Amino acid sequence: MVSDAWSQQLTVYSSGQVTVGTSRQLTAYVPISPNTVVWSVNGVPGGNAVLGTVSATGLYRAPALIPAPNRVTVAAASTARPGAVGSVQLEVTQIQPRLWSISPATVSPGPFTLTLNGASFAAPVEVRLGGVPLPTTRVSSTRLVATGTLANLPAGQQLPVQVWATGPGAIGSDVIRLNVAAPAPAPSPSPSPAPAPSPAPAPGPAPAPAPAPVPAPAPAPAPAPAPGPGQGTANLPAGRFLEQAAFGGTPAELARLRSLGIDGWLAEQFAMPETAIANPGGQASGAVQAQYLSRLTTAPDQLRQRMAYALAQLLVISMNKNIYPDEVVPWLQLLSRHAFGNYRTLLGDVVVSAQMGKYLDLANSNKPGGLSAANENLARELLQLFSIGLVQLNTDGSPRLDAAGRPLPAYDQTTVQQVALALTGWTYAGSGNNNWENFSGPLVPRDANHDGREKRFLGCTLLAGQSPALDMAQTLDCVFRHPNVGPFVALRLIRQLVKSNPSGAYVQRVAAVFDNNGSGVRGDLRAVLRAVLLDSEARSDAGGADAGRLKDPIQHVAMVVRAFGGRINPGNQLAWEFSRMGQRPLAPPSVFGFYSPLFRLPQSVFNTVVVAPEFQIYTPTEAVLRGNFLWRLLSSPGADVVLDWSPLVALAAANSDPSTLIDRVDQTLLYGRMTAAMRQSLATAIAVQPDASQRAATALYLTLLSGQHAVQH
Amino acid sequence: MSILHTRRQLLRSALALTGGLALAARSARAQTVAADDYKALVCVFLVGGHDGHNLVVPLEAQAYAEYRRLRGPLALPDGSAGLLPVSTGAGTPYGLNSGLGAIAPLWASRQLAVMANLGPLAAPTTRAQIVAGTATLPSNLYSHSDQIQLAQAGNAHGGGGTGWGARCVDAVLALNGSARFPAAVSVAGNALYTTGAQVASASLLPGFDLGMDGLNVWPASAAQARATALAQILALDSGVRLIQAANTVRRDALTLNGLLRSASAGVVNTAFPGTELGQQLRQVARVMALRGSTGLQRQVFFCQLGGFDTHSNQGWTHWDLLRQLGEALAAFQAATVELGLAARVTTFTQSEFGRTLQPSGSGSDHGWGNHQLLMGAAVRGGEVWGRFPFPALGGPDDAGNRGALIPSTPLEVFGATLGRWFGADAAALAAAFPNLGAFAPQDLGFMAPG
Repeated sequence: MVSDAWSQQLTVYSSGQVTVGTSRQLTAYVPISPNTVVWSVNGVPGGNAVLGTVSATGLYRAPALIPAPNRVTVAAASTARPGAVGSVQLEVTQIQPRLWSISPATVSPGPFTLTLNGASFAAPVEVRLGGVPLPTTRVSSTRLVATGTLANLPAGQQLPVQVWATGPGAIGSDVIRLNVAAPAPAPSPSPSPAPAPSPAPAPGPAPAPAPAPVPAPAPAPAPAPAPGPGQGTANLPAGRFLEQAAFGGTPAELARLRSLGIDGWLAEQFAMPETAIANPGGQASGAVQAQYLSRLTTAPDQLRQRMAYALAQLLVISMNKNIYPDEVVPWLQLLSRHAFGNYRTLLGDVVVSAQMGKYLDLANSNKPGGLSAANENLARELLQLFSIGLVQLNTDGSPRLDAAGRPLPAYDQTTVQQVALALTGWTYAGSGNNNWENFSGPLVPRDANHDGREKRFLGCTLLAGQSPALDMAQTLDCVFRHPNVGPFVALRLIRQLVKSNPSGAYVQRVAAVFDNNGSGVRGDLRAVLRAVLLDSEARSDAGGADAGRLKDPIQHVAMVVRAFGGRINPGNQLAWEFSRMGQRPLAPPSVFGFYSPLFRLPQSVFNTVVVAPEFQIYTPTEAVLRGNFLWRLLSSPGADVVLDWSPLVALAAANSDPSTLIDRVDQTLLYGRMTAAMRQSLATAIAVQPDASQRAATALYLTLLSGQHAVQH
Repeated sequence: MSILHTRRQLLRSALALTGGLALAARSARAQTVAADDYKALVCVFLVGGHDGHNLVVPLEAQAYAEYRRLRGPLALPDGSAGLLPVSTGAGTPYGLNSGLGAIAPLWASRQLAVMANLGPLAAPTTRAQIVAGTATLPSNLYSHSDQIQLAQAGNAHGGGGTGWGARCVDAVLALNGSARFPAAVSVAGNALYTTGAQVASASLLPGFDLGMDGLNVWPASAAQARATALAQILALDSGVRLIQAANTVRRDALTLNGLLRSASAGVVNTAFPGTELGQQLRQVARVMALRGSTGLQRQVFFCQLGGFDTHSNQGWTHWDLLRQLGEALAAFQAATVELGLAARVTTFTQSEFGRTLQPSGSGSDHGWGNHQLLMGAAVRGGEVWGRFPFPALGGPDDAGNRGALIPSTPLEVFGATLGRWFGADAAALAAAFPNLGAFAPQDLGFMAPG
């Protein structure tokens, strides 16, 4: 008899929508040995052409036509335990229409005609305003015209406009908001060449209900100060997400994300093979840096790259001290391998790596004797920077305070000394007890140099006479169990990936997932990463005073080249440029990384605490150097990068409407959030430039220099 | 029209939108101010925890014997560094690390002094209190990041969000009149030390005038249009704080660029070493030479030299770092003479902490109190100020059992002594150093009056 408990423990990720003709990687978590499963669709093993197929590894391919019903169940059944089954519901949908822009962006109460631009407008299709269908004419797969009559709504209100592919598997586009203007006082001449006569009714759309006055939907979230531009467009949710989960979006990555949805994209990324990190060996340190920069912009496993990059700011090694490839590349490989793994495992592998052994002097740190004491360097940073932090934390990441309002220390110097003693007796691989540097494998234990006394710290006791390996394991277990670790790691990952000033509730939600991934596992980085990225505070496109984080120089440059589908070439010579901007690749100045996660703006700036880690390396000097470097990439990229912005030049021909160029720059870099005032400033500057190239360069360069673009938000 | 001329024009137009009018007013005003009212403080921060035990060594026989015994493999002289003998006014002998050869002559001319065993204190603290567990200690001792923050914040907890260098300018703000920027300059990246409550931190890279390459385009009208649009875009209020902060950084950059380019002054002829610190101090001297344009009468500067976290291989590494320090300081001292500011500029070292007297292998571990250098014609040189500790493990000056010094002079009093020379009165000093009242005396006497 198979108990229900077994079937409940087999979990498949994840339910959602799949577009016809596309695929979705599903993942089964099987806590049974062997962990093999048999996949089926609606009970058909392997599925079929009508329902879609599923491979032995869980790759579901949707059928070419919408099945009826369009909701299918894909199940994974354990081969070890008959009856242990997990399943997901997938909704096969039509190809999602994409809505880029609407014209006009503002209408007054009364009759109106809307032109909609986008992609994948297949028949049957309809435009909905405030959820109500409008008579729609499909001009082409990229252009629709809809008509209606707007009710007498207050000016400043916004109504959602959406394009729907109707019929079985119906699916709507992203939403653009239409602004309501004050009633036109008189039949004023329209400022833009809006076609006054509505187009002839074309065949196709079924006669819609009479153009009824559009009802007023729920009150708009906030009256927009600048109606029209600046509100964001269809690319905004995907563009924002890829700035958090990747090094920004290439056009292809944006399309991929919009096709798969966030859940589907994450599943694909989690399942994607790891991009290999080559070790050039010898003294080719420059090649390590160059390949690193290139990999960030080209690797398909972007989520892993971004997570490993974040972990590298947490478990720091620097090429300032570890100068040769063998002294740093294996550490990069560890961060990459464990990026979706368990934090305890990662910590254990990093601490006994020969690379960290050199960087923080654990290698050949021996028990006290003569005039020498155990080296405290690794012990201190293990506690302070890798796990616990200096002060006791509440679950929301805020410091716990004593009665006088002072932060409570998490441990003291005695703790550091005890941990240092527990970690004595490790040396480089070799035959002796104190071996010379050897980076071919992890550190090895030597009983002769290990302090065998009892150690007590953080409420844990390590018994006298234990081996170096047992003391190491128990020390790391003890540290890892400390209640600070969840909020500590959560806050650092949120600051690296999403925002510098998260709410306590956000930190608390992520910390709870660190403490328990839902299956009783502590430190599951995959679950933590999902919690960071899928939290409502990360996904809200609305911004707000506390939104965002400044892109660091490497992220900023990577996001610019990727936005144009470009890359940093593997043979680049950019390390020096980045070092001038405060970020010599892989070589932070100290174990505290390139910038402190605790760095704040001067209190005088906003008269409140604003945490701004990346501003530590963004003073006037670094800001100008960054701007000059971006200008160099535009004006003379050389062999270092591929950055093709010539399509912008094509939009900037003489006598062309500057708004076309500005639209493209806005879509590419700001996802439609450029404000009307900024567009006006750009248009004025563009008008004076001598040729198409300089017009395009002006729009691009000035946008790159704006705070809107410098801050990921 | 030359390109240079074109660039100046467009920069002027950019500045007109970002505060250039104020700059023009400053330039006019500057001509009416007596130049010799100027004073500056220059902090050279030795990052990593500088081993003061091997900066200055007691040569009195009994102390030296204990030093030699307890320092073991790190004791000087050794194969890496020697000791340059000096003595105080009272005749007590000390040895300076031979890496400091370039500035050692300033000891004899009484422009170089040592501040002994300086460090952050919450209150006067004894070993007995620490052993008994009754001492109130500064936060997070022995931690690099926190002690950097404490050393620059100038208090025992690292909080407050401002640095004591910039607070010294805040304390004498009236002396700067309407000139505000750049009164607190870091030539080593953003630093808490130069961040004030009222004075903003300005950062400058040696040899770089913050020119923006993408604004350099022909014809001039096109360049000017770009500059104008940029100024407008940087002034937009997005409602997102970090976006505004990023825009503010760029606006400050435009202002600084105008300052650095507009001055035909700013010329310093003294040769500086090509080292990182040498070039930082050269940039400091250049900015000092611009004081006629900025109109500033009080400025603080922050420089930085890294590499002092000598957990291993300390001997030669430490000597070489001190050689870089000494040569850069010697050139800077000569530049202040060239600028007529030798008695108007006071330079001193800081570090996040000292190191243990007891070695660990070929290096030493994190400590607390530390010895520092003071340089300038206004310094009462040729002296060791404060109380120099007798070398001992577990002795009365040891916070533990490895020779991590309990500071005998609190950082706040050191800062207040410089602040008083800067022109701050008692009330302003109490505001700049809120915990000053916990200590006595409140002036260490190492600055000549005036």
